[in-house]
Amino acid sequence: MITARGLTKRYGTRTAVDDVSFTVAPGRVTGFLGPNGAGKSTTMRMILGLDRPTSGSVTVNGRRYADSPAPLREVGALLEARALHPGRSARDHLRWLAASNAIPAGRVDEVLGLVGLEDVAGQRVGRFSLGMGQRLGIAVALLGDPPVVVLDEPVNGLDPEGIRWVRTLARTLAAEGRTVFLSSHLMSEMALTADHLVVIGRGRVLADCSMPEFIAEHAASYVRLRSPQRGPVAELLRREGLEVASVDDELRVQGRDAAAVGELVGRQGLLLHELTLVSSSLEDAFMTLTATSVEYATRTDTPTADTPAAGTPIGALR
Amino acid sequence: MTDTVALDPNRHVPAAPHPGFGRTLHSEWIKFWSVRSTTWSVVAMFVLGAGLTTLVCATSAEWLASSEADESPASFVTWGLMFAQITAIVLGTLAVTAEYGTGMIRATLAATPRRGAVLAAKAVVLSGTLVVAGTVTAFAGYFGGNFFLEREGIGLALSDDGVLRSMFGSGLYLAGLGLLAAAVGLLVRHTAAALSIVLALVFVVGTMAFLLPGTWGEWTAKLLPGNAGSGVVTPVSFNPELLDPWVGFAAFCAEIAAVLLIGFLVFRRRDA
Repeated sequence: MITARGLTKRYGTRTAVDDVSFTVAPGRVTGFLGPNGAGKSTTMRMILGLDRPTSGSVTVNGRRYADSPAPLREVGALLEARALHPGRSARDHLRWLAASNAIPAGRVDEVLGLVGLEDVAGQRVGRFSLGMGQRLGIAVALLGDPPVVVLDEPVNGLDPEGIRWVRTLARTLAAEGRTVFLSSHLMSEMALTADHLVVIGRGRVLADCSMPEFIAEHAASYVRLRSPQRGPVAELLRREGLEVASVDDELRVQGRDAAAVGELVGRQGLLLHELTLVSSSLEDAFMTLTATSVEYATRTDTPTADTPAAGTPIGALR
Repeated sequence: MTDTVALDPNRHVPAAPHPGFGRTLHSEWIKFWSVRSTTWSVVAMFVLGAGLTTLVCATSAEWLASSEADESPASFVTWGLMFAQITAIVLGTLAVTAEYGTGMIRATLAATPRRGAVLAAKAVVLSGTLVVAGTVTAFAGYFGGNFFLEREGIGLALSDDGVLRSMFGSGLYLAGLGLLAAAVGLLVRHTAAALSIVLALVFVVGTMAFLLPGTWGEWTAKLLPGNAGSGVVTPVSFNPELLDPWVGFAAFCAEIAAVLLIGFLVFRRRDA
């Protein structure tokens, strides 16, 4: 369980994290989502007691990280995978970490096996690929068999097989009852991994809800109708208890799929010129939500939820 | 990857004792010796310190034994330590700045949030290594160099005035230099910058300062770390203006303590 209360971090006049409160509950994967520069890494560093909050507090299992007697056994973290001395071997890197928290030396080879690095354990990490470095970082996070796991951008630099491995790992850890807090700037990745979402933009929490809620609220699908008999069609559908919105010359209907809406209208002998299911992707929903809060915005317009061209069926994402 | 135990999600670490300073020390020890630069620096210290002492004694013994000699043979038995200083400074700097250069300091402080313990463990590992390596180097240089001095009849016994003191003094002085470099590294967090500052302070500023005029200039020169501390290294110093060996070394220690304290206060407050 990670609890942040009014967490704020300022660097000079720049506010990196602005009055952030959230709870990361055990037994599920909580995604920490936000564009680059939104304050994800700063928040994670404050969780680990590396950066001092300007105000507010964050606790892990009810106490400050720094107060933990053996923090690696309580919280496993991957912050920057490349933050390693290039001349040290993977095994030695894990050995000094294990020694610092009285973790039995045997656990080192165990986690090396767990992440699939046993064959290169003696090699200096300077020779490691980005993906191998990432795996070593995850080995570090798992070293103390911790009940809380914090991973900052764990799939960066991983190949598709590696990405799937991290996804499975995160879900397995959560299924074991651990608290899993996972940051990413990729919504599509989160959609496949996380049960719960904390979305952050410009240091502020924009959304804190379950994944289904997020989909329902921000990536809603609707059926678009065009008809020469707009009035009667709208009336008919409203009588059926559906939500109907009239936008320009089209009707947007929520609550049924295209086939059901078409049958309803057809039975009454009304005419339709268009009948389309429009569903925006989660990526679009995320872009829309954070569009106003990206720090380094590009000039291209971000696609919005009602751009049919960008629409993809939600089923493909879950 | 699934063979982990089911956990009480709200558990604190079950009966995990505070790992204590011994663990931090062990951790820093592994860290220190698991990079090649440490081995290379210690080897370089020995080769420079003992090797150059032997070499200079071998080539100067005849002159030292002659009537033209205006230096004491006792100034030569630790001659190579002048260069061994560099390796101690490099080792001390890297012990700290390598962590900042790579970002590994975050892993260190995540593993051991008590920053004072981290700093103390680093200091103990570094200074312990340098005391031993420096003393061994000094003895090796003495035995190597004295062999040639004895052939000319000007050899020194270990029991001669200041000889044993210079052997152990070499180890202590190199340990002090390493700590000074580590403290500066902690303040500037950059390898090249820290190395430049300490090397310049010891080798350039330390020598130039004797050109300063007046009493204050003389005292400034005497008290600069490289000058104050190095008196204990030689039985008889080349430089007659230095403070008494142990007086100078005490001043040297006070200076290191001051820089380390500033380093610690900054380190404790600073975001990692």
